[in-house]
Amino acid sequence: MHRQALTEDTFYLNLGPQHPSTHGVLRLLLRLDGERIVECQPILGYSHRGHEHMAQNRTYLQFMPNPCRMDYLSGLMYNHAYCLALERACGLEVPARAEHLRVICAELNRISSHLLWFGAYLMDLGAFTPFLYAFDDREDILAILGLATGSRLTYSYCRFGGVRDDVGQDFLEGIRAFIPKMRARLKDYDTLVTRNVIFVNRTQGVGVISPELARAHALTGPCLRASGVGYDIRKAEPYGLYPELDFDIPVRAGGDCLDRYLVRVLEIEQSLRIIEQAMARLPGGPVKATGVPQFITPPPGLYHTSYETARGHLGIFLAADGTRVPYRLKFRVPSFGNLGILPKLLPGTLVADTIAILGSMDVVMPEIDR
Amino acid sequence: MNALLNYVREVIGGTWSLATGMGVTMRYMFKPVTTVQYPRQRLPLPAAFRGPIELVRLEGGDHRCVACGECFRTCPSGVIKVQGHKSVAASRNQGRFYFIDFARCSLCGLCVEVCPEGALRFSRDYEQCGLSSLVGVQDLMAKLKEEHP
Amino acid sequence: MAWLSNIPATVWEGLRAFLGPLALTMIVGLLLTLGWVQVNALFLVWLERKVAGHIQLRIGPKEVGPFGLLQTLVDGVKLLGKELITPAPVSWPLFVLSPILVFAPVLVSFVVIPFGPGTQIRDLNVGLMLIFAFGGLGVLAILMGGWASNNKYALLGAIRSVAQNVAYEIPLLLSAMSVVIMAGSLSFQAIVQAQEGLWYVFCQPVAALLYLVGATAETNRAPFDIPEAESELVAGFHTEYSGMRFALFFLAEYTNMFIVASVATALFFGGWRGPFWPGPWWFLLKVYLLIFVVIWVRWTFPRLRFDQLMNFAWKYMIPIAVLNLMVTAVVLKIVR
Repeated sequence: MHRQALTEDTFYLNLGPQHPSTHGVLRLLLRLDGERIVECQPILGYSHRGHEHMAQNRTYLQFMPNPCRMDYLSGLMYNHAYCLALERACGLEVPARAEHLRVICAELNRISSHLLWFGAYLMDLGAFTPFLYAFDDREDILAILGLATGSRLTYSYCRFGGVRDDVGQDFLEGIRAFIPKMRARLKDYDTLVTRNVIFVNRTQGVGVISPELARAHALTGPCLRASGVGYDIRKAEPYGLYPELDFDIPVRAGGDCLDRYLVRVLEIEQSLRIIEQAMARLPGGPVKATGVPQFITPPPGLYHTSYETARGHLGIFLAADGTRVPYRLKFRVPSFGNLGILPKLLPGTLVADTIAILGSMDVVMPEIDR
Repeated sequence: MNALLNYVREVIGGTWSLATGMGVTMRYMFKPVTTVQYPRQRLPLPAAFRGPIELVRLEGGDHRCVACGECFRTCPSGVIKVQGHKSVAASRNQGRFYFIDFARCSLCGLCVEVCPEGALRFSRDYEQCGLSSLVGVQDLMAKLKEEHP
Repeated sequence: MAWLSNIPATVWEGLRAFLGPLALTMIVGLLLTLGWVQVNALFLVWLERKVAGHIQLRIGPKEVGPFGLLQTLVDGVKLLGKELITPAPVSWPLFVLSPILVFAPVLVSFVVIPFGPGTQIRDLNVGLMLIFAFGGLGVLAILMGGWASNNKYALLGAIRSVAQNVAYEIPLLLSAMSVVIMAGSLSFQAIVQAQEGLWYVFCQPVAALLYLVGATAETNRAPFDIPEAESELVAGFHTEYSGMRFALFFLAEYTNMFIVASVATALFFGGWRGPFWPGPWWFLLKVYLLIFVVIWVRWTFPRLRFDQLMNFAWKYMIPIAVLNLMVTAVVLKIVR
């Protein structure tokens, strides 16, 4: 947006890159008429680290720690997706136990991501306390995942053809204790937040996205499903263990902030269901395929893998040239599409709504900037 | 009349939702504290904790490193430098220096995984800090000798 | 040793003779008030942090002093030591004046707070009016500060503050008026005296609730903290303030809480009335219980949006307050 000559009753406001609720380093250049937004332009690129370029300069195994650092909130899912892409390219078989562990950990990661979003969103709306309750729950998940992966944020747990290490009894018991606790907490969240008249008023009918608009802007994940389009990679292009599991894809028709909130809360419940099923049928056996070379070399060709992260459709496009190093590794990240709709959505709303809408999109800036 | 009824219902419903919300926070107020008072209390580290690496110490203060170079070839950040020498007594290569720059290490743990001799492991020391990035450069062999003279 | 214990009385008599009784009460009252304002703010900030901590499964301050009681004192000392930054493009007379102006009316309001039967600096026959009049001055100071800061966030905060106060003064006054009709006086002592048998909260529950909601908005506290909404406007009207100037805004906010809670206590909760203990103890106990409720509310609810707040005031609070006032008047006319 070129800064046009200002008319007398509008002015520019830089929301970010340092602002309490831009979640990372996003800058929104707003043109305001009083408190009403006339024009909005998101400005990106403040945390560009060149991950895709790094991929072209190191072997496939060496790139393993990087995907977790793009979307640090669903690190395990990125890691899973990256392994999935390589396994598909090389035709590797993954042992059943490893598949189960991957799904359990990925869904735990999805819950922790949604919980962090939940807390941060409520903080954007001015309620500080749910943030700490969510972090209390999230702490349990991080401790459980720490038992399996040895790390709390950048897990890097999956390996080509399996997972890094088998889990112990403490991991399984931790999850068994966590599931009922989380269910009880969801009831409290329902009373404290979902039914709260102030919260409902702040989110209902705010930032409505029609299904057509959502499709036109390539929205994915909960943002898309809140607009009435029931598209989820776990059902549309199933991978791993998902075709064998029984779970629902929550869909809401309204397309406003409240629906985006509800879809995520319902997804937490579905993730708990998935974890329960996977735990019930967790088989024994090895967790790593044998005979995976250290310098994994996919045959030359173009490969594409889709994955459903906590934010939506992650696409990994791999161009392999038969060497140990990818020729090109391109990530299609969900947050980019979800953020791109803001210039369409914001004009006409108030500054307070800007925060509510931006928060409801659940963007993670390092994922967009990479 | 209907509008008036709705109005009354709205007021009562809204007030009720606020009251129940306050009930939740009041209940949580009497729940036990979940935070850990860090310098005085510490969380237990998981057995699989992925900390900064260290050399596995053998009986007599020795280590297993043969300076094969797997770790520094695998390291994504390129922060490891290993140098060994031919040991006549052991009739094999033996590591002499193991330099790693923890300031740039991303704690991915690939070095531990690829080590064919099992010479590396994760330490449980998560409180490393310093005033300069040079503090991160450490010789693990020297550290091993320092800690177990 | 008898002469030693006579010293305070001797000094008192001497000063009384020298200054005259009125000026003396004023000076002593002012000094006491200034001290009380500091102690009260320190205690309230501590209480707020402690309550917030326990609501959020934390423990709040605990390092400095017993139970962390001195934490706020240390923070205050830190603020005193900070540089007073005056950004170049501010219009500085207004910028400097604003924190003083926000603090002064709060201080004056202490004149009529009825701590006990005789423990009051002056019992004015328009005490309630005085508090509301000076309460209205605070918003002027906020507007001045926000405007003079020459910062867009501060300006937006100032605009919001004015609109909010215009909307909330009305239900606040209307709900207080229904009590005034019942007591037949604007003097605090008379209102407290009138609650001899029954506290007004029992015959005026709606007015009490409206007053508390209005008072929360009046003091810019969550869920009505839109002028300083930190997730939207960074820090709102005091974005550009630092050091002791910022601390004055802070001090004014917490003292204002004390004032509105005192007024609520006097109007609805029987003031200093209570068995066994002397009046001031009861009064303070009730005030801090009310403040606890306000803090509890803050740490439970999300913030309202600017236009919803206006809607809430004009659509719900003002009609209900007017209705309540009319019903009170009619019932009183019939009964008496």
